[in-house]
Amino acid sequence: MDFKLTEEQELIRRNIREFALKHVEPIAAEIDENSRHPAELFAKLAEGDWMGMPIPQQYGGAGADYLTHIIAVEELSRSCSSTGFTVSIHVGIACMLLLLFGNEEQKKKYLVPMAKGKHLGAFVLTEPGAGTDVMAATTTAVLNGNDYVLNGTKTFISNGPIADTYIVFAWTDKSAGRKGMSCFIVPKGSPGLKPGEHFKKMGLRSSQTSEVVFKDCRIPKENIIGQPGQGMGIAMTGFDHGRVGIAAQCVGILQAALDESVKYSKERVQFGNPIARNQAIAWMIADMATDLAAARFLTYHAAWLKDQKQPFSKEASMAKLFGAEAAMRHTIKAVQIHGGYGYIKGQKVERLMRDAKIPEIYEGTSEAQRMVISGNVLR
Amino acid sequence: MREIVACFKWVIDEAYIRRGSGGDLDLSAVNYKISDYDRNAIEEAVRLKEKCGGSITAVTVGVPEATRGIKDALSRGADRAVFIADALFAGLEPSQTASVLSEAIRAGTQFDLILCGEGSSDLYAQQVGPRLAEKLGIPCICYVQKLDVEGDLLTAERRVEEGVEVVEAKLPALVTVLPDINTPRIPGVKDTLTASKKPVVTVTAAELKSIAEARLKTTGITAFRMERSCERFGTDDKEITRFVGALRKKGVI
Repeated sequence: MDFKLTEEQELIRRNIREFALKHVEPIAAEIDENSRHPAELFAKLAEGDWMGMPIPQQYGGAGADYLTHIIAVEELSRSCSSTGFTVSIHVGIACMLLLLFGNEEQKKKYLVPMAKGKHLGAFVLTEPGAGTDVMAATTTAVLNGNDYVLNGTKTFISNGPIADTYIVFAWTDKSAGRKGMSCFIVPKGSPGLKPGEHFKKMGLRSSQTSEVVFKDCRIPKENIIGQPGQGMGIAMTGFDHGRVGIAAQCVGILQAALDESVKYSKERVQFGNPIARNQAIAWMIADMATDLAAARFLTYHAAWLKDQKQPFSKEASMAKLFGAEAAMRHTIKAVQIHGGYGYIKGQKVERLMRDAKIPEIYEGTSEAQRMVISGNVLR
Repeated sequence: MREIVACFKWVIDEAYIRRGSGGDLDLSAVNYKISDYDRNAIEEAVRLKEKCGGSITAVTVGVPEATRGIKDALSRGADRAVFIADALFAGLEPSQTASVLSEAIRAGTQFDLILCGEGSSDLYAQQVGPRLAEKLGIPCICYVQKLDVEGDLLTAERRVEEGVEVVEAKLPALVTVLPDINTPRIPGVKDTLTASKKPVVTVTAAELKSIAEARLKTTGITAFRMERSCERFGTDDKEITRFVGALRKKGVI
């Protein structure tokens, strides 16, 4: 057993923490309030190679391991969950899928600008009638001459309104069941591609989410990722990677909830004493710290397995399930510790609590995670 | 500009220091960092290199475990490092640090300009820079908030009590910098990952002449305790008089 991070991981954690305190924390409340995508912040993230960390340098990335990327997502999320998530879905899913399944030309053309942070990626799978039930999707891709023609409506697409490169899943042969789905690269500006307007959300408001509509959307046939029919496997691999990122996002939220709760409960005086001296508050903080440690270990372990080239699907689901539920549970407590102040906009715990809900829903609901985990355990 | 040396100290990050139950300092779970102003010294070296060319050697004296500090300095833009490392170097006092640095630098490090932080984050004795310059027999310019080099002439703005003094010096020289001189950049991921590929020369105590006796002995460290008290006063004349009396008694007015 070795629970030590490498010196490089330690340094990178400290650097991204410093970056987050300097560039993210000061704007986090504003971009939440205005549902704004801070393009200027993402340009700075790109400068520091944070937008393609685990991608090899030959493809425009920094060549770090996956755990290091996960640590960066955690630290960014500690300041702003939306920012951490946007990096996570761009790097952890969109970039990783191109790296793992794209051919050399696709990597050069699409992955390099993404890993350099010049282009932003999106993972386009969910449909109005197809959430956890991926098989219920209806978007189709039909080969027509040298093009695929895509038709269908996708929804809840993160980075939907602002992405440069859409990784899209559509049926090429609905009759073939799971083996009938394929995966495509759809660049921004493709004819018939219509990204929608950013939704008004409860939390994670600066992360841009929208419908993405394909109406006779034509893309060259070489834009298929992998072989026709491989789409479902590619999507599941994307989820495995993305879920570790969501777990890291939850670790960041939990750390922030703990930071805020410790600080406030030591300062807030009632009945002549800081409220942290009350066992009722102290025990909330004890539980928070314990679940934070557990969530972090689960998350790092899943990322470590990925770096060791071992299966990590079950562990990714466990980390996400535990992290998401712990984040929700404890951000509610963090607001409770803050009392009335915690219910007011601008107080960080108010944002944390709203942001903590979505990890229980996206990239597979907690119920879907339990399906994956029990499926693995009961096999 | 040819050769720049940036000296740094790997210190305890004060954010991690806890107060022990007996009033002592609890250092059991501390993290370390490059001393704050030394980061400015390294950054200034990088800035000068970007402007005038040359190369940067980062130099530190410390315990062998401080390897992360070496990588940190290299990730900030130094081209190579000299790591004067020995278990004996835990808790050196400033005169010893300066003599160890001077010996190691004389032995094999070229320099036209040496940059140091004004003082360290832990002791802030402000001794190492001037002492090192003295031992190397080169001019020392302290309290520098702006630095420029043209050929072999440096121009420095020194912030002194009465105002700002502008001085010139011929290289080689040593400059100690204030934090206002620049804002250290945050290393990118690639900078950190490539740091360990840069050359590091390690020098041990055995390779140096005997280390001088400490001129300063630390006999103990205790946590500073801020006295807090709370007393309530009313708003009538009598209470206000009592309030003023209480402040006088405490010696605050």
